[in-house]
Amino acid sequence: MIELLLQTGLNALFAAAYLSLVAVGLVLIFGVMGVINFAHGELFMLGAYVVVALYTNLQMPFFLVVAIGLIFVGLVGIVMEMTMFHPLRDNPLGGLVASIGFLMVIQALIILGFGVRMEHVPPVTQDVIVISEKVRLPVQRLFVILSALVCLSALWLFLKRTKFGWALRASAQDPEAAMLQGISTRTVSIIALFIGAALAGVAGSVAAPVISISPVIGHSVIVSAFIVIIVGGIGSLEGAVLASATYAFIHTVITTFVDGVIADIVGLSLMLMVLIIKPTGMFGTQDRV
Amino acid sequence: MSDILIVSDLGKQFGGIKAVDGLSFAVREGDIHGLIGPNGAGKTTTFNLISGFYKPTHGYVKFFDEEISGLRMHHVARKGVIRTFQHSTLFAELTVLDNVLVGTHMMFKPSLTAAFLGRERQSRAKAIERANEVLEFFGLQAFVDQLAGELSHGHQRALGMAVAMASQPKILLLDEPFTGMNPEETQTMMGLMGKLRDTGITLLLVEHDMTAIMGLCDRITVMNFGKLLTEGKPLEIRNHPDVIEAYLGKQKNAS
Amino acid sequence: MSKPQPLILLSFLLLAVVLIVLPHGLSYSQREILVFLTINILVVSSYRLLTLTGEWSLGHIVMMGVGAYGSALYTKELGVPVPISMILGALTAGIIAWGLSFPLFRMKGFYFLIGSFAAGEIIRLLWKRFRDPFGGPKGIKRIDPFPDIDFGFVRIDFFDPVNYYYFALIIVILCLVILWRIEKSMIGLTFHAVHWQDKLAESTGVNVRAYRTLALVISATFAGLAGTLLAHYIGTVNPNVFDIEQMVFVLTWAIVGGTTTIYGPIIGCIILTALNEIVLREIGLEQGRPLVYGLILIASVLFMPKGLEDVVKKVIELMKQHVFRGRIKDV
Repeated sequence: MIELLLQTGLNALFAAAYLSLVAVGLVLIFGVMGVINFAHGELFMLGAYVVVALYTNLQMPFFLVVAIGLIFVGLVGIVMEMTMFHPLRDNPLGGLVASIGFLMVIQALIILGFGVRMEHVPPVTQDVIVISEKVRLPVQRLFVILSALVCLSALWLFLKRTKFGWALRASAQDPEAAMLQGISTRTVSIIALFIGAALAGVAGSVAAPVISISPVIGHSVIVSAFIVIIVGGIGSLEGAVLASATYAFIHTVITTFVDGVIADIVGLSLMLMVLIIKPTGMFGTQDRV
Repeated sequence: MSDILIVSDLGKQFGGIKAVDGLSFAVREGDIHGLIGPNGAGKTTTFNLISGFYKPTHGYVKFFDEEISGLRMHHVARKGVIRTFQHSTLFAELTVLDNVLVGTHMMFKPSLTAAFLGRERQSRAKAIERANEVLEFFGLQAFVDQLAGELSHGHQRALGMAVAMASQPKILLLDEPFTGMNPEETQTMMGLMGKLRDTGITLLLVEHDMTAIMGLCDRITVMNFGKLLTEGKPLEIRNHPDVIEAYLGKQKNAS
Repeated sequence: MSKPQPLILLSFLLLAVVLIVLPHGLSYSQREILVFLTINILVVSSYRLLTLTGEWSLGHIVMMGVGAYGSALYTKELGVPVPISMILGALTAGIIAWGLSFPLFRMKGFYFLIGSFAAGEIIRLLWKRFRDPFGGPKGIKRIDPFPDIDFGFVRIDFFDPVNYYYFALIIVILCLVILWRIEKSMIGLTFHAVHWQDKLAESTGVNVRAYRTLALVISATFAGLAGTLLAHYIGTVNPNVFDIEQMVFVLTWAIVGGTTTIYGPIIGCIILTALNEIVLREIGLEQGRPLVYGLILIASVLFMPKGLEDVVKKVIELMKQHVFRGRIKDV
């Protein structure tokens, strides 16, 4: 029983890793632009398809492909900022609706390019860390966990230690204060979109060999991310990470011991309950809507 | 004349701050009653407590011997206590007539079945009649088909009162009705208030600027730091040392 | 106002003739699409009623599903005759919406949007999870069709899309008349008031929560009715028919058409369906529907935020000025 729980915990850690990358990006974009990016799950999906295209098909080295995924999806984020979120900066609902349109476009393009079939990415390594008879951690999954740790720490350092990071945090609270420091809000929002999208992209890329990939995986990713950012308090990065871990654990436990659909229902009910009781989330205090 | 609105030991706390602290006063029927005090004295909070916008932490508000504090805003309104808002809070995207029609909501309660069957003509005609009366009262009949958002500032304030009037208040709570008005508009507004009182409506107004309402009010309640400072006729208030100090002290701090 | 009366009458007559003749000029599959279009017009028009109060839901399509599942189950499990089960199905959607209003109307704006999405997904997942009675992922099959009507001399078979189109058309027009009346009534005015200044409305005695709930319940009931129309035509329902992608289509119709007029969403629905079924099908790009819809959605939010209805309004104004030159002062 303890072994089963341990194994479930490791699985949850893996899920929490990529989920928190997606959720943190979503919160970052919301904090700076005040808009919820419905297409964020599709950015994750794009990251995975970069791996399908370059690693599976063209046999490029995996970690180079992950880096390309990060930059490519980050650039897609900048495209979103320029074409939709910036022109619609005074219309948060418009931005949200436009991002739904963007979601459909990306999905359709991937279907046109790759078809609707499931893609399987061969693992980079077959190695498994055997902790005990029944508790195993495939190294491939460890990659995901480590990348999340590296990316989130890098983000943390960036936010706390650099001028741009400071401007990013400031403009989430007070756009004018950021402007006073000589950093244009436009630069800040472009950086936020790049980082936010890149985080989702790198999550999709690094997780690609472990998950099953299809053009519609964005849906379940964005639903989980919504649950997490609502539960975590919609303006809070730390809350998003904490909630990712909590949610991933609950979801994995219920999936293991009951079934996946029930786990989804519980997750959604949890979010609904938080919305009813404390719309600012369990861990957060900020409220920008 | 009897007291129709009684505020007793009213208190409201936000976190650790006591915005209103043990306030008691009464409004007599048919009066124009002023509630004044320096900025931050808790006037608007008091207003929000009476109109049901907030729930009091302690104490109560009674209207015609019935406790109304803690009721939701639309319930308070249905008792005959109608408030206006600071600034020009209106349905800017609706026409002037439609604005006032919303105000008639309580008199001519809309019915879903009537709407389904298209059998609304009679009550609607009555509502429009009432709305036109009110608009005439406020001198707005020329603008019925204009959008509320396109009116001048003075007219917008008048329309705000017209909407409240249409709901047939027994007491009208006016939140800083003179803010942002030029002397001419202020004069018109004061005339309107006198006319309103003459129709039998009791008025309670919150005002920061003391001089504006001196000539208008029958009685004045002065608040400071969430508490009652003093109460009386305008002349008594004008010469009351505590009031002068509260206002002057405030000015000192400001400069 | 009263001058163009005969003109309006004439255009209504023309419209009626077009609606009656329309299916006879179409192929079988196009007739089926016409039936779906008619049903979708009810879906998007009922959605608009909710948007009058200022709230945008992502659960509307699931309310349609509640009607469809409800009616299907009432006939299959309880043996209720189809016409009655359709009414019951619609009412079920209204009741479920009423129940959901308690949690959902503690939220506003974006939170309401997300909350309605979550509530809808929960319902959809319940259909997916519980084989009994909802049939699981495959849904419910072999739903009773609408019974034939036998007048003795003529027998109306509703399996024929033309007949079902007329049936659906009558119901949808009836519903649109009711929706129109609600909007033009004092209730409709109050919906607008709640949208623009809920605090002011409340201060004049409007129970804002009750009006929001009313709008949600009415819109869900009509969406549910649309769902029953669909269920008894295609004979099968499953959770994917009512997923977020379908919801996005409804959203697109409403936004492309505009929501300030009753005809806006209808125009959006007709034009996008025509675009999809005629243009995309002709050039063999049916797979590209989400691509085209997505691009149109983005483009209309960016460049045409007032929707197609705004274009129609301007055309009508131009026509008026042309016909009654000089008599109309200004716009």
